Amino acid sequence: MKLKIRKGKEAGILAVFLAISLVIALSSPVFLRIDNLFDIIKSNIVLGIMAIAMLPIILTGGIDVSVASIIAAVTVIIGNFMIGVSSNIFAVFVVGCASGAVLGLINGLLVAKLKIPPIVATLGTMSIIIGVVLYVTNGTWITGIPQNFINFGRTDLFAVSVREGEPIGLPIQFVFLFGAAVLMWFVLRHTLVGRGVYAMGGSVVSAERIGYDLDKITIFIYTFEGFLIGLAGSVHTSIMRQVDPGAFSGFELHVIAAVVLGGASVLGGYGSVFGTLLGVALFAVLNNGLILMHIPVFWQKIVVGVVLIASISVDILQKRYSESRMTRVDIEPVEG
Amino acid sequence: MDSSEFLHIEKVSKTFPGVKALNDISLSVRKGEIHALIGENGAGKSTLIKILSGVYQPDEGAEIVIEGWRAHSLTPIESAKRGISVIYQDFSLFPNLTVGENIAVARDIEKGSTFVHWREMRRTAGKILERLGVDINIDASLGSLSIAKQQLVAIARSLTYNAKLIIMDEPTSALSKGEVDLLFRIMRSLRAEGISFLFVSHKLDELFAISDRFTVLRDGKHLGTFDEEGLDDDRLISLMVGRKIEYTIFPKRKRTEPVLEVRGISRTGCFQDVSFDLREGEILGLTGLVGAGRTEILQAIYGINPPDSGKILLRGEEVSVHSPIDAVRYEIAYIPENRLAEGLVLRKTMSDNIVVTVLDKISNRLGLIQRDKQNRLAQDWIQRLNIKPNIPEMQTSKLSGGNQQRIVIVKWLARDSKILLVDEPTNGIDVGAKMEIHRILRDLAESGMSILLVSSELPEILAIADRIIVMRRGRIAGQFDGDTATQEMIMEKAILGIKQQVG
Amino acid sequence: MPTNKLSAFIRKKEFILLVIFVLVFALMSALAPRQFLRPFNIQSMAFQLPEFGILAIAMMIVIVSGGINLSITYTATLSSIVAAVAISSMGQAGVADWKVILLGIVIALATSLAAGAINGFVVAYVGVTPMLVTLGTMTLFEGVSLNITKGGAISGFPDSFLWLGNATIIGIPVPMVIFVAIVLASWYLMGRSRFGFSVYMIGCNPRATMFSGINVKRVLMGVYLFSAVLCALSGLIMSSRYNSAKESYGSSYLLQSIAAAVLGGTDIAGGYGSLSGTILAVMILQVITSGTNIIGINPYLTNIIMGAILIFVLALNYLSSRRESRKLV
Repeated sequence: MKLKIRKGKEAGILAVFLAISLVIALSSPVFLRIDNLFDIIKSNIVLGIMAIAMLPIILTGGIDVSVASIIAAVTVIIGNFMIGVSSNIFAVFVVGCASGAVLGLINGLLVAKLKIPPIVATLGTMSIIIGVVLYVTNGTWITGIPQNFINFGRTDLFAVSVREGEPIGLPIQFVFLFGAAVLMWFVLRHTLVGRGVYAMGGSVVSAERIGYDLDKITIFIYTFEGFLIGLAGSVHTSIMRQVDPGAFSGFELHVIAAVVLGGASVLGGYGSVFGTLLGVALFAVLNNGLILMHIPVFWQKIVVGVVLIASISVDILQKRYSESRMTRVDIEPVEG
Repeated sequence: MDSSEFLHIEKVSKTFPGVKALNDISLSVRKGEIHALIGENGAGKSTLIKILSGVYQPDEGAEIVIEGWRAHSLTPIESAKRGISVIYQDFSLFPNLTVGENIAVARDIEKGSTFVHWREMRRTAGKILERLGVDINIDASLGSLSIAKQQLVAIARSLTYNAKLIIMDEPTSALSKGEVDLLFRIMRSLRAEGISFLFVSHKLDELFAISDRFTVLRDGKHLGTFDEEGLDDDRLISLMVGRKIEYTIFPKRKRTEPVLEVRGISRTGCFQDVSFDLREGEILGLTGLVGAGRTEILQAIYGINPPDSGKILLRGEEVSVHSPIDAVRYEIAYIPENRLAEGLVLRKTMSDNIVVTVLDKISNRLGLIQRDKQNRLAQDWIQRLNIKPNIPEMQTSKLSGGNQQRIVIVKWLARDSKILLVDEPTNGIDVGAKMEIHRILRDLAESGMSILLVSSELPEILAIADRIIVMRRGRIAGQFDGDTATQEMIMEKAILGIKQQVG
Repeated sequence: MPTNKLSAFIRKKEFILLVIFVLVFALMSALAPRQFLRPFNIQSMAFQLPEFGILAIAMMIVIVSGGINLSITYTATLSSIVAAVAISSMGQAGVADWKVILLGIVIALATSLAAGAINGFVVAYVGVTPMLVTLGTMTLFEGVSLNITKGGAISGFPDSFLWLGNATIIGIPVPMVIFVAIVLASWYLMGRSRFGFSVYMIGCNPRATMFSGINVKRVLMGVYLFSAVLCALSGLIMSSRYNSAKESYGSSYLLQSIAAAVLGGTDIAGGYGSLSGTILAVMILQVITSGTNIIGINPYLTNIIMGAILIFVLALNYLSSRRESRKLV
């Protein structure tokens, strides 16, 4: 019964996604234009990777508000690396992922070893990291990204010709989103650590009893999140072709919203990569819709806030209802 | 020890600060045997289980022999390695994962592998389910299964550990008759394979349907191990209840004025069609086996989980109690079974815990608490009930069990409640302190308070209750007068006859 | 007797905080004696501290109840923005100044109470964990604020409104007077009243408190409403000092108020918290921010310091509690 509800949840999100897309398409046919669609994809690849990165953390009932500061740090680090050391694309990505992983590891240690509640620990690291970033850069942008990197960022996977102007193509960065999704899917599905994430989400007590190393899993998910954020940072720089340390302010809320929109439940270890991608898609389409329909972008925050609250409330109410109806006593039938 | 025995323990004792939970226990479980562990609440069953599973270590001098291998104590890992597997009441399963994963993932964890081997997992799970003869979809989400099926999954998981002794704690408490039949069928087929079960339950009729031998514990002592022929209803009852009543027996009063009338209340999954009166100034004992629904009745009256149907009348007027706030307004008080988690705020002082119910009495019109009033009130009650130590500002967590219980009682006395719902008030308290609580309760009844007392300890009930109601499986099974009832009479109503077998 | 009380005080955490405050103050004075000890700076700190201190108290109360309120800064600015809109349009319409200001205050309070009611309802009656609720409302309030301001700042206050944040009464800054009043009110509310008593009990053990007949839901609603009122007052002070209302004002106070509460001895899990400790912590943090500003340390570094203090204090708490429990075994 419960599984159907969960699967139903993802189907529900898909339905909402289609419904909203329909509404937007009807009011602004521009929505369905190929270049608009590809634009949506391109501008949300980074969000997608970060939402995937955060999924395991939400699954275990944690949270990470430092993700925006981590990606800011990574972009600054690789920006300087590219210009100062090497513009080798592979090297850049390695440095990006590694620096992200290190920052994630710090979060993981604070939560797992010092037992600091995730919200507070990541609030702390967020301030420290963004403080360091802004201090070091003073907010100045990094331009002068090496040409080969720029060319790499401009590459399209395949071109689709369009009526007016240049051919539009699926950006190469999509590969990274796809790769991150597959990687996370694999980790969650086929590694013991991944199963441990779901186990922890389902019942921490049972997870411990059955032998999962909870600390190790916690440290892993934060480090892995950092790693993927590092990837996202490299991708972001390849898209924007410059580094703006202040560009990510407030972004963490978009990431959290996308994950929660995608059906990840804070309460029971339910959630999937597919659902998260749906959540990102929904978020992306909502945003695009706001722009196309000339609704002030401020509404986006309102919508995000309301959806967050509503979605979690529904989760909790469902759980409370099923708990109150549990059978406690096997009632004796009346003797004839 | 002979080779037909899987487990043999002797001289097992376990002392906790202030209380000896187990006293020189011996037990043996044969291979391929279903062995029942019987005893009242507090008899030491769960302590024994924890020793066998390695969670607790017994006192010095214990001897544990498992298939010839000797030890003085066990660790969880060692116990599992030797083939002992415990299925707790909460099953330790994951509702959000599939059946197959719930059954077999432990193998991969044990091996410490990085990757999960789904095909092997499914094969293992499938084979075990086949072996059990159970038709459950491996890919179904565990949370979607009924409790009964979930339990079978828990058993299946034990088998992946190559369990040779499966210990089950109250396995049938949430199962229907048909589901119990299925469980027993599976247990019997596993028994035929040489696997043993240690089965803890209060449902004596079921125990007699399935068990080969029975071990009876009482007050931490081993009273005897019997096989089916050696045990019948009367023998069993006398074993379970035969202790001498060491408590002071108070004279019983005949009361007449009903102050609380319960008419036909029911709550799905808790109790059905319950009716009784609580009379002014009496102590009404509500007893029966664990799981009979007694706590649920108290919580229904107190508004924590109100009944779905039926009426409750307070001094003749129908009332609806939807929450504890309503109940307190109706001058009903509740002393929960779980004193530490639900009755007290341990981190706070004795004084704070006492006045929490009477904040309106100690504050002025502005809502400010007057510390001198609070101190006086707290000091007064601490002295009246002889709570030690006499330091109102001391943290409640530092008190002994008996004194903690007095604080719980006191906070309602301060409220001047008229009806007291008490659940296992002397659980985990030593005999001397128990008797003092008895005296307190009797004095309260004398002064006009009406007390509905839930207790599993029959001597206690017989010592202080004016009238006694026995519950069995969610219904009322019998009523007695306090001065004429005996333990045997109560027990007889509390259990179904041994000969009335299940399936 | 006096010696016992003195030694008891010395052992208390508040004393340590007082010592830290004196040390930090001395440090800042030593590093920039001329600027730091200038009366202007002392007064300037006295003007700045209240808006932060009020928010810190608001945060402390919610943490004591067992939750957390991430929406405090946006509640503050939302209230001030709504009030600002009302005030500036009234002011243009030529209504008498003091009436305008009074109206502004009332509107700010009404807005914040509505905001607090949303938080309180979802936390107390629906039962969602406070962290998630306030994460959502934080976003919601920011969105509503932006919708009103369109990203800019609302100005156009009558001069008399500036009195609130910039004037002095017998040499004491008005914000500080307001702050002291709030401290007194909070001290009575949390330390002496039935309500405060219930909040502490709930923070320790909500279930046992509920079983004792206390209306936990109502108390929690009250907590979020009270915290919202404080946010409104902080927002009014801020908008008066900056002579404008913008949604991003005071956003750094979120982290700082959690740091202040924790540094002041509030248990992050709830059930314990000291008002005086929080205030001392606020003073310490204020001296740090002002001092580092004067010395010329990059403001970005201040954020780092705050984050580090937060983590450091929590780590210290955890390690010392582990040592305590080891002693008991």
